Formats: sequence, structure tokens, C-alpha cells
Amino acid sequence: MNRLRIAEVEVDANGMPLIVKRESGNGKRVEAVGEMWRIDDEWWRDPIARRCYEVVLDGGGRVVLYEDLISGEWFVQKP
Amino acid sequence: MGTGLAIGAIFGIYSGPIETAMPRNHLASTTAACCWIPLFALRCEEARRPELTSQPSALLASDTARRLWQVSPLARRAGVKPGMTVSQAIGLCHSLRLCEPDPVHYDEQFARLLAALSEVSPVVEPAELGGAYVGTDGLGGLYGEPEGIVEEMQLRIVDCGLRIGNTGVESTIRNPQSAIRVGWGLGKFVAWVAASRAQPGGAVIVRPGDEAQFLSAQPLAVLPLDSDTHRRLRQLGLKTLGQLAALPEEAVVSQFGGAGRRLWRLAAGVAVERVVGRETPEPIVAAITFFSPVAERELLARALDQLLERALKHPRRIGWRVQVVRVRAELEHGASWLVEAILKDPSADRDRIAAPLRTRLEQAPPTGAVERLAVEFTAFAPGAADLQLFARDASAAARADRRRALRTAAREIKLRLKRSLLYHVIEVQPWSRLPERRYALIDYEP
Repeated sequence: MNRLRIAEVEVDANGMPLIVKRESGNGKRVEAVGEMWRIDDEWWRDPIARRCYEVVLDGGGRVVLYEDLISGEWFVQKP
Repeated sequence: MGTGLAIGAIFGIYSGPIETAMPRNHLASTTAACCWIPLFALRCEEARRPELTSQPSALLASDTARRLWQVSPLARRAGVKPGMTVSQAIGLCHSLRLCEPDPVHYDEQFARLLAALSEVSPVVEPAELGGAYVGTDGLGGLYGEPEGIVEEMQLRIVDCGLRIGNTGVESTIRNPQSAIRVGWGLGKFVAWVAASRAQPGGAVIVRPGDEAQFLSAQPLAVLPLDSDTHRRLRQLGLKTLGQLAALPEEAVVSQFGGAGRRLWRLAAGVAVERVVGRETPEPIVAAITFFSPVAERELLARALDQLLERALKHPRRIGWRVQVVRVRAELEHGASWLVEAILKDPSADRDRIAAPLRTRLEQAPPTGAVERLAVEFTAFAPGAADLQLFARDASAAARADRRRALRTAAREIKLRLKRSLLYHVIEVQPWSRLPERRYALIDYEP
């Protein structure tokens, strides 16, 4: 459930997401960035470190983007 | 039986009362055979979904869908236990297959088992789902030694079409993979302990006079104890029935009261509680005489429905499901017509009983107009209320109907799309900060 989907994200100079391109489809511009938070967990086995952004995309879609701070990959999830 | 079962659920399934001064009952027996199929419900699921046998699996409880009810041995090896929440279980065993319970199906299967046992003896007492006592007094003349009686029981179960585990019961006898265990002894408690000690597919027979010796080495957990009493007995250093029976009876009574006397007497093998059967009701007949003879099948079918309705409402039918139904018609010019249907799954549902009769009415209708039509229920199986678990109320029946409709829909989807693609959403770690961990999908097979 709420499967992670890999995404390509272009960021600005401050590391904030600008354009989001999912596995299929064209890229969408980020209209607004809402909350930001960081998750660090499970350091005792496979550490998890994520920086998350709740964003509104061009067209009105609300998604959560996160950057996996260990692998450097970006993912998109439902809020 | 409800209270007894609640106690039995803690340690062992035995819950019978001690009835030393019971009034004589011709459907009672002092020698008993206990037929026990552990994890009965889970094994019923394995019969329907053979892939479960090779995977760790568990059944969800029917009241709340987030706790486990029965757990397969493979799952137990991974640390999963009954009563755990789904999230705890998934955390311990990622490959755990979870199944929604289908109580009506389990009751139907159990009814088959009881029907098979009642062919050996008229004295059959259900204990819990998957467990039943059979009174064996007087059966020696038919089957010889207790071994012969036990073998006859196993043979009857083979014939009844019950499917449990990954094989039919065709492989029951002397098959170590079989789930059925049988115990024989004097009184229900000895029979139950013997069954619980039998190998899968095997039997343990405790000859009269050997009860005390047999019971002495058994652990206290076979007694119908609540956890507090069990803890206190262990604190007293008692581990086996023999150690408990070695104490003076009055000392145990002074510590544990009336319940202590019962425990001591069970442990010492001096309590012989009888198996008490139930009388099967007399046939139930409902009939209608037509003002003018009726030849139209539709009218006959409607009359049949009404008669079934009336017969089902008969007070004698309460608590029993219909197994054999007969329809008799008196025709013009003195001829007659008779059909009989034996229901593989006994039922108290009008439509299910009517279905085979309607088919016969279509295929081989009466050869003339009907003057009088009668419906007769001639054989019965214990009703759902007797089977003590779930299918005892209207809401359970409604759930069963919904499940049946879902099953049909799911089958159609599977036919069209080649695979099920139906899933059930369950909460796994709703508190998790990682959204993908909060819920999981399990295969949905209604």
C-alpha cells in the first residue's frame, strides 16, 4: 500500500524541488512547497534517512516527495 | 458449554463437568472415544487452498480482523502466536499468509464429521470445533475391542467426504500426515487426554483400570484450568497430574475450593464423566391438499417453497439442520410421486433445501395432476447453535450470504482476468512514520 514510486526531481540552488518527472509522463512543475520534514529511523539495521516535501504540482495534484539521503534517489508518494 | 469452552481455551480443550450422580439417560455412555482435529478451521482452509500448507499461514479472528486466531506450525516456528496483532505477526514473519475466517464453512465441515461419527454410535457430543466425544458403551458387540471401534470411527470419517488439511481424509488411517487423533478411555477426560497424546492419524487407548497410571505422567496443562490456578499449582511445585493426585484430596479442596476437588478427581482418574448424546427429532411433515388437482410445475414449486417454510418453522426443527428431505405427491387416479434429496451440507435454509427438489421437479415431474403434496424432513444434523462457534445467529447467516455472493463475483473476475487481483487492506503499523509501512494488502479469497 502507498507504494513508493521512483521519480526524477530537478532542484533549485537551495535543494528545493522544482520539476517532478515520474516513471511515466511528462515532468510537472512544483507550484508550491508545503511542509518539509526529515525521517531518520532504523539506524540499528538498514538505516532510513529521508527528507520529505509536501508539494502542490502544476495542475493541483498534492504529493509527498522525498529524497533518500542514503542513495540520493527521489520518490513520490501519496500524502 | 460456553463457560466450559472459555476455560478450555486456556489450557487444553477439555471442559466437561463431573456428573457422578447424573440421572440415567439412554443416550449416555461411560466409555468414550474422543476425536480431535487440532487447528480444524485452519485445516479446512488448507483443504480449499493447498498452497497454504507449504507457507506460514494464520487465520484472523472473526470478531476483530487484527488479531490472529489459529496459526500454522510453520508460522509458529517463526514465532507467530494466536492472539497476536497482525502487525506483530507480520513483523516476525514477513511471508505470513493471512486468511479471513469462514465460520459457516467450518461448521458445515464439522457437521459432516459429527454425522460420520453418529453412524458409529448414537451418542455423540460435540466439544469444540474439531473435537467431539463418541459414547462407545455396548459397541463391543458390533466392533469388538476398542481398537475395532476406533478403526470403525476412522473408516466412517473417511467415507463422509470431509476434507481437512492438504489431503482428503482418505489418508486418515495410519497416515502420520493426517490431522485426526483419537483417544479412547473411561470417561470424557481420559479420552480427551488420550486423543491429545495420540500421534497425528493415530489413536491412544487407555484400558479400564489403567487411567491413574496413564494420567499420572501427563502435564497439568491438560486440566481445564484458568491461568491463575495453573500458576498457583506450579508455584506449589506441581507439574504433573500424578503429583497433584498424590496430595490429599481435602488439602487440594482447602486451597482451591470446589474447583480443586474437581481437578483432583480428574487428575486421579476417579471421575468418570459420561458422554451425553442428543436425541434426533422425529420426522417433520408439512402437507397441503389442493382444492383442485394441480399440474403446473410453477404452482407446485411455489407450494413446495411454502411447505418447506412451514416445516422449517416447526419447533422440533429448532437446533437441527435438515439432512434428508422427501417430497411426496398423491396424484389423480391413485398414483403417487416421491423424490428424496440427501443434502451433502445439511442446511436450515429454505432455498438450499429446495434447490435439489426443484431440479427433480424439472427433470422428472409427477406423471399426473397433484391432489396432495407433502414435505418430510427425515434426517437431521446438529444445528449451528450446537456447533458452538459462530454461525448461530442471523447476522452470521447474513455474513455467509454476503460471502457467497462475493465468492461468485471473485470467481468471475478470476475467470475474466486469469487471476484474482482482489486484495484486502489491513492495518499493519498504522503509527509508522513511513507511509508504505502503515497498510498491507493480503490476497482476498472470499
